[in-house]
Amino acid sequence: MDDYLIGVLSNIGVISFVALSAYLLLLTGEISFGQQAFFAIGAYAAGIATALWGWSLAAALVWGAAVSGAAALLVGVPTLRLHGLYFAIATLAFAEMVRILFELFRYQISIDGELIGPNGTDGFRNIRYIFDHNIDAFQFLLLIYSLLAAAMLGLLLLERSRLGVIFRMIGQDETLAELQGIPVARRKVLAAGIAGTLAGIGGGLYAHLTTYVEPRIFDIMLGVHSLAYGLIGGLGTAFGPLLGVLIDIGLLESIRALAGYRMIIFGGLVALLLIVRPRGLLDEMVVHKIGRGWRRVSLWARRSSLKPRGNSA
Amino acid sequence: MIDLVQNTLDGVMIGSSYGLLALGFTLIFGVMRRLDLAYGPSIMIGGYFGTVLYLYYGAGPLAVASAVVLGAVIAGIYVERLCFAPMKAGAAIASMVSSFAIWMQLEQAAILVLPRHTYPFPPLATVAPLEFGPFLVRVDHLIMLVCALALAAAVHLALYHTRFGLALRAIIGSPVAAHLVGINVRTAVLLTFAGASAVGGAAGFLVLAVDQQVTPMFGMWATLKGLIAMMIGGLGSVPGAVVGGLLLGIVEVNSQWYFGPQIRDLVAYVVLFAFLVVRPRGLLGRAPEPAMPPKA
Amino acid sequence: MGTAVKPETEGKQRLSDWRMAVKSASYVIATLAMLAPCGLENAHAQIRAKADVSCQPAEKLQYDCIIKLANARTSEPLSGLTLTVGADMPSMPAAHNMRPVKATEEQDKGTYRARIALEMYGDWALRLELSGTVRDRVVKLLRFESDRVGEATPAPGRHRH
Repeated sequence: MDDYLIGVLSNIGVISFVALSAYLLLLTGEISFGQQAFFAIGAYAAGIATALWGWSLAAALVWGAAVSGAAALLVGVPTLRLHGLYFAIATLAFAEMVRILFELFRYQISIDGELIGPNGTDGFRNIRYIFDHNIDAFQFLLLIYSLLAAAMLGLLLLERSRLGVIFRMIGQDETLAELQGIPVARRKVLAAGIAGTLAGIGGGLYAHLTTYVEPRIFDIMLGVHSLAYGLIGGLGTAFGPLLGVLIDIGLLESIRALAGYRMIIFGGLVALLLIVRPRGLLDEMVVHKIGRGWRRVSLWARRSSLKPRGNSA
Repeated sequence: MIDLVQNTLDGVMIGSSYGLLALGFTLIFGVMRRLDLAYGPSIMIGGYFGTVLYLYYGAGPLAVASAVVLGAVIAGIYVERLCFAPMKAGAAIASMVSSFAIWMQLEQAAILVLPRHTYPFPPLATVAPLEFGPFLVRVDHLIMLVCALALAAAVHLALYHTRFGLALRAIIGSPVAAHLVGINVRTAVLLTFAGASAVGGAAGFLVLAVDQQVTPMFGMWATLKGLIAMMIGGLGSVPGAVVGGLLLGIVEVNSQWYFGPQIRDLVAYVVLFAFLVVRPRGLLGRAPEPAMPPKA
Repeated sequence: MGTAVKPETEGKQRLSDWRMAVKSASYVIATLAMLAPCGLENAHAQIRAKADVSCQPAEKLQYDCIIKLANARTSEPLSGLTLTVGADMPSMPAAHNMRPVKATEEQDKGTYRARIALEMYGDWALRLELSGTVRDRVVKLLRFESDRVGEATPAPGRHRH
């Protein structure tokens, strides 16, 4: 597999985490333009852990996820009373605050005669873990995708579980959910925490993938993009945001011929898509139909494989 | 003390343009209940129209201003037709994301046509700043303030003393009821978009003329400033937009003076966040609805 | 649904919710734990590279770059490596990418040349990927304009008044 393809696939994998993060919040009915803040926190925390404190990658990723999850829980509480647009703008404000704080954040240690660490607007260079430990690009790709697979497994299980149904109920109608006895506030904070953790894992991976992060990367563009991926790919299933990321980055990379017009074409396509499909490609209707079709097929398969006498259920 | 007053003076003048941006935003939000993320970029397109006129035809400020307004209106109508008109009632998120996609589209289109990082803009005034005792007032700032106040007054007049304004206020109150009494909501919304873009275009011209340059990043900047000012002043409130803009301007200039440009931006966002958490309705807005209408 | 839930069953339901959350989290942590040993093998210092990049505008949005690679510690030129140059725009990660180009080594040891084609003017982070005897990556932030290429100083805030 050539390096370029590995690079593109790695990017797709990492950005998927932020997309899933925004998607989870969308399920509970909240629009967040701010998940990139947790992406940033995860990136910086994990980078600091390996580059400045000498931790192992695994520990650093867990640390990054924990810090961003905690931050998400902290922010989830004061924004509980906010809904819809107000919540969205609050997340945007929070994310920009975090970004500017990183522009002011300086934490440098001298290692081997060289200053390493986040340096305000200059960013955080030399997160060299994968080079110092001889992890090649393909191995890192495997790491990204195994973590993504684990996260997807968790999310898909979540969607089938009672908690997942609760999240969608809250998304549909909060008052009704509250009337059913669901502690809506606590569940929303839980969703925020999980979403933040997801973004944090992605951030930690991103920092080590690119070895260099700066605050500019974590701006509003990233935030609205991650929201857009879920909306393009579909809000019916956790595969939706992945599809969105694939379409965006995959398409972006493949339409090389029209390099200068990419955004124009892509933007127009997204706008048109959203007219016919406001909930994305894999929206709830499509997922439901796929599920029904699958059940029909498996029922038919089971019926035709039953012995003619004596064994039918 | 003198610094504080000087900064406040500057802040009021700069804030007047923020107020205009917020005004356009709030008009769109009022009738649509949706955020138009392509608002700033459509003003930026207007700015590019203006700079082309200035650069290649040497036009004067008035002609450039008209070009900016025209460009903004054209872009605004494009956005409305593509991102808001065809959307069904509950697809608010889809509209916002669609407007974001068009934001990216407009930005890239602008860069394609004019690829450099910055383009010049004619100044509003080239005379020396006026002096009032220990305070300095730039003439172009003053012109900006006067124009902004005049425009805000014109919008207020249009909203409260014309039939169209009445129809708009009806739609803002309840789109369904407005439709039932025979108001053509879709046409009114289109015209509102055009009007809001025109107001935004004027605000954009004022800001760009004071800065004497236009960059492709102007779109995002205008959207953010308009958004913050609108939220502080109160979503959907016309006087709130102006007050929010002025307040934002004052806070910004003072923060920049005492703490530098990064803290200036930080403070703007902290103020916004604080308002949202403590008093989401802003200074003059109505209390927010309990939840968004059922999602599609 | 609709009738009040008895306290015991409510507690059980809440427990099952938490169990679900913990189960999902444990998948992720287990994966990480399994992959942890991969990193602990060669924890010794590799050769670090430093790069000196200077680019000149060629045609529209194309630049000729001369890159000098040296050992970061000893300043000895690094020769015979495979150098691939990629570029990212900091404000839009994973988009506006330039397809990486291979650099060719020049006569002087450790000096490489590459021609890059960018999508737009502005700040770009050049990603110099070294492979061969030395495996490393150096990132250089430069501002590419129509007539010159200079240092990029990420300016705080977008607009100033």
